[in-house]
Amino acid sequence: MTSSTAPVADAAGAAVIDRSATMRRGLQFDRNTTFWGLLIPPSAWLFCFFLVPLVLIAVISLRPDLRGGLTSPFTPSLAQYQLLTEKANYFRLLGTSIGVAFVVATAATTLAFPVSYFLAFKAGSRAGLYLALLLVPFWTSFLLRVMAWKVMLGSSGVINSLLISAGAITEPLQFLLYNRFAVIVTLIYVWIPFVTLPILAALQRIDRSLFEAAADLGATPPRRFWRITLPLALPGVLAGFFMCFIPTVGEYVTPLLVGGSAGSMYGNLIQDFFGKAGNWPLGAAMSLIMLAGTLAVVSFALKVINPRDLV
Amino acid sequence: MKAGWARLAAFVAVFAMLTGTFSLVSAQATGSLTVLDWAGFDAEEFWIDFKRDNPDVDVTFEIGTSDADIFAKMMAGDQADVFHPYTGWLQYYVDEGLVEELDTSRLKNWDKVPERFKKLGEFNGKQYFVPYDWGYTSIVYRTDLAPEAGESLASLMNPEYAGHISMIDDGASAVSTSAAIHGWDVTQLTPEQMDQIKQEWVDQRELNLFYWSGEPELVEAMASGDVWVGLGWQGAYALLRAQDIPVAYADPKEGRASWVGQYGIRKGTQNLDAAYAFLDGKLAEETSRNVVEIFYYGASNQDVLDSITDPELIEILSLDDPTVLDRTRFSENTSQEQRDASAELWVDVKAS
Repeated sequence: MTSSTAPVADAAGAAVIDRSATMRRGLQFDRNTTFWGLLIPPSAWLFCFFLVPLVLIAVISLRPDLRGGLTSPFTPSLAQYQLLTEKANYFRLLGTSIGVAFVVATAATTLAFPVSYFLAFKAGSRAGLYLALLLVPFWTSFLLRVMAWKVMLGSSGVINSLLISAGAITEPLQFLLYNRFAVIVTLIYVWIPFVTLPILAALQRIDRSLFEAAADLGATPPRRFWRITLPLALPGVLAGFFMCFIPTVGEYVTPLLVGGSAGSMYGNLIQDFFGKAGNWPLGAAMSLIMLAGTLAVVSFALKVINPRDLV
Repeated sequence: MKAGWARLAAFVAVFAMLTGTFSLVSAQATGSLTVLDWAGFDAEEFWIDFKRDNPDVDVTFEIGTSDADIFAKMMAGDQADVFHPYTGWLQYYVDEGLVEELDTSRLKNWDKVPERFKKLGEFNGKQYFVPYDWGYTSIVYRTDLAPEAGESLASLMNPEYAGHISMIDDGASAVSTSAAIHGWDVTQLTPEQMDQIKQEWVDQRELNLFYWSGEPELVEAMASGDVWVGLGWQGAYALLRAQDIPVAYADPKEGRASWVGQYGIRKGTQNLDAAYAFLDGKLAEETSRNVVEIFYYGASNQDVLDSITDPELIEILSLDDPTVLDRTRFSENTSQEQRDASAELWVDVKAS
């Protein structure tokens, strides 16, 4: 009798002890609960606002048209994709957009690297201040910053007035605004601060003692840069590059504002089909093609470029 | 006896007052009303009469950025009670069953609207829309830099003005402009004609500085002298005049194009009374006058147009020359296929 009741009493006692322990330490979860607790909210968010819209776009792209409204039943067809196969100029523009994105990402990364380097190694105690200054442009809207470039590049803008008053030119330079050049210049400006951040993070992680060791072994400063700094910063550089490259392929606001009639990018066509043209199915099909194209380029690049081979 | 009469009179007076108050209350709409409108039209000036007469209605505005956007929203099941499309788009709402047929006897101000405007909102003999604002699309040009540009819409394609032309960013306008230049009926264009129109705009792109999508863009570029010739609304002309820029608003040989903003009620609205009151308020005196004086648009209320004495406004809207409106091409109601074809043509132009 006693032997059979003892474990029960023990279990009850253990439970009491357990509860009091929990109360002492505050709310505490085991690893599993913590893992899922932290993972579920962002996953649910991504599911609702990324995955579901993506699937919706795919579904809309299979509609023959928008008749009867978005929710009306329809027979799925590849009509939109078929139509696009006849649009060689759309694909040419997609290629151009990828080219523009490549130029912008390369230039922004190249220009951002020295900024990050300065912040990581030379700015010392003022690094925080300089970083804040770098981020000041983000206090104004993206749109305003792009508009500001119209003021810079316009025919009666800052650059032209300066050159005219300096006597360098007599007529304003027309090639500064309303073309692809203006789009590239503006986008590079917009992206530099963004790209600085991942490179800075990578540079800050480098163990300084590596430089001392290299110096002790007789490595010159350029050699130290090529053999230590750059290889260790490369993950940040690549992250910055692709962070800039991928969204730039689909960019449409900047070309709309400073690109003029000949500066349109693929994103502008998509925007037109979703906006003025009111042809969502075709716009959706074009979006998916752009997504596939960008993914293909990025995965190809990552496959071909082995970061270790670069240095 | 005397006291009895007095008591009766007092009773009658009180009763009359009560019922009067009551009937006044019942004439007012209550509840809430959602209006799908363009940015700017949400300002109180453009629905002031409704607000004054229906202070208890809680009005909220949803903003649409283009006719296509407003149509797409309504197609997607937007719950706005009242919406504001422009001519050229009205037929689609009727075809898709999105708009309530109107009982015009519920609109006190309906008789102030000229027949010309009423007709535009009528389909299959039934009235679906109430016209409110209207204006022109034509060439705005710098008289100092391109003095001859007002003669024809073809100035938009004139190599003399290369690099100083700004076309509106809109496929339907491109197609209707070309059709007008050639004298073609925009509702009967053949595929060959569409191909020719496309090629014309592809060639025009080399001459065009930028396609404008917001009026201020065009105004700014014309004021600075970058653009000499643009296809624009009379509002751009008015704003440039106000800055003393030497500009003119063309009455080209092809005639001006015109657009009319219309208000419709969503089929199945929960607050029909408020929706009718809102439409009626749009036609009322002050609300109509404000759209003329603030936006330099025309109003559909003929009394308001007749009472304009400001010579500037008369000139901007060409109210002194009734033949201008007669020669004006009001946006035709094209089919969805035609609209899609114009839109696709325009994207092709940009992509080429």
